[in-house]
Amino acid sequence: MARWAYLILLTSCAAVAAPPHAYILNCMGCHLEQGEGRPPNVPRLKDRVGYYLQISGGREYLVQVPGAAQSLLSDAELAVTTNWLVRNFAGRSMPADFKDFTEQEVTRLRHHGPVDIDAEREALNQLVDQMEAQAILQ
Amino acid sequence: MDWLDDWLAKRTRTVARNTSRRHFLSRLGVGVLGGATLPLLPVARGHAAGAQPQEQGDPNTCEYWRHCAIDGFLCGCCGGSVNSCPPGTESSPVSWIGTCRNPADDRDYIISYNDCCGKSGCSKCFCNNNEGDKPVYQPAKNNDINWCHGTTNNLYHCSTGVVLGLAQTN
Repeated sequence: MARWAYLILLTSCAAVAAPPHAYILNCMGCHLEQGEGRPPNVPRLKDRVGYYLQISGGREYLVQVPGAAQSLLSDAELAVTTNWLVRNFAGRSMPADFKDFTEQEVTRLRHHGPVDIDAEREALNQLVDQMEAQAILQ
Repeated sequence: MDWLDDWLAKRTRTVARNTSRRHFLSRLGVGVLGGATLPLLPVARGHAAGAQPQEQGDPNTCEYWRHCAIDGFLCGCCGGSVNSCPPGTESSPVSWIGTCRNPADDRDYIISYNDCCGKSGCSKCFCNNNEGDKPVYQPAKNNDINWCHGTTNNLYHCSTGVVLGLAQTN
């Protein structure tokens, strides 16, 4: 019985691990604790954010989107927070070959996004919507 | 041979007691119930019940410690409380999140300022404290924004200041 209790305790704790401080203070107000967001104004990250990593321009977009690029996080902090976010929220959208963002990559990309970020958002979201719909059908 | 009979009878009963269907079901029941209940315990709810602070001061004043960055009407003066919305209003799921220092223990806590929405402004206990507030071009850190954009009705009524937990010290 003690073994069962221990196992249940372990799985319970794993399922409700608290988000890191940087996510709570800079992202969670809108994207919420489980990454569920408030579509369409606040995009959902849960089971979705990984699709951006699989399309052209999508990986860049994750650190160029104004909420990330203009946050008060340093390049190193933004890299760590984005990696946490992808690993915890991507779920079924997670690409098998995901490589962590590095500080250098964030420095290179962060402030060099498309001039019309709204058009980029629209275009990427259309593709991601399609990928999500296909994944649900499979 | 009585001793053998007694011994065998005792052993058989013990085995029967520990391997019966009822015993298995009762153990299973404890496991299932325990598994379902554990995530509800406060220790497992990082968001809803992090480290809850000692309290000091009047929550219905602008000087109350949790209000270090509040901009709006205090829900405690409007039929709700510092933690809850007044009846007939809806708590906005999106919020602006900051930290305030608690004078009771001199530690920083993460505060979520959730607006209560769906009725016109309460107009009581207006406060405008701006610790850590950033200009509107940093929207996630600005308290002038109508955070009722996450609810079905965008009318702003009042603001709460919910403690999410202890802030990390850097």
